[in-house]
Amino acid sequence: MARTPGRTNASGEAASTVGRTTRIRGRVTGEGDLLIEGNVEGDITVRGDLTVAEGGRASGAIEASAVTLRGELDGDVRATGAVRIEAGARVRGDMHGESVSLEEGAEFVGRLDAPFDLPAELGGTQERGRRR
Amino acid sequence: MASTVIGAGITIEGEVTSDEDVVVQGTLRGKLVAKDAVTVEHGGVVEADITSGPVSVAGSVTGNISSNDRVDLQNGAKVVGNVKATRITIADGAQFKGNVDMDV
Repeated sequence: MARTPGRTNASGEAASTVGRTTRIRGRVTGEGDLLIEGNVEGDITVRGDLTVAEGGRASGAIEASAVTLRGELDGDVRATGAVRIEAGARVRGDMHGESVSLEEGAEFVGRLDAPFDLPAELGGTQERGRRR
Repeated sequence: MASTVIGAGITIEGEVTSDEDVVVQGTLRGKLVAKDAVTVEHGGVVEADITSGPVSVAGSVTGNISSNDRVDLQNGAKVVGNVKATRITIADGAQFKGNVDMDV
């Protein structure tokens, strides 16, 4: 699926940043990458990559391209790309993505849902399986 | 450097509060409270009351602006709402409809 690459500035920062002392209560939608260092209470739907930085906190459903979690999240994630739950993250919710990775040192309560191709020798057909 | 940036293409519907600078390049509907500066850049749309430090507008604001510092309406700005500030400038090319309260 083609996607609009997130706009970044010269130093490679995300196009949108929720700073450390910033709190958003409401819906966030649109295009471009989003970096959360502060607090977002509400659903987030972006066509771009979403990162919850260390110290950042989000509660609500998230839809984005790739999702990287290093902070706290309470809510489900639907990503068209990879979901990475990195060390130090505290996550509660169901993760759905092209791939889902869980790093050592992360706290996670929820379901992992990522499609993958079964090897041919298992089941004999190229059915797409699901692991949970 | 701005701590919070609402990028072009991003829409926030709700309340934004911050102790730091807020830059709006996208759209914000709801309420904006910042302890520091608020900048509405060209192309940025704020449909919200703004309570903050210094405010600089080059985009569009519909709502009341209350600043404990200065408010600068730059060329290209479109502001509909009342402005309360200690100092205010309205540049040539800025559109403004509303009352000014300089607390004299």
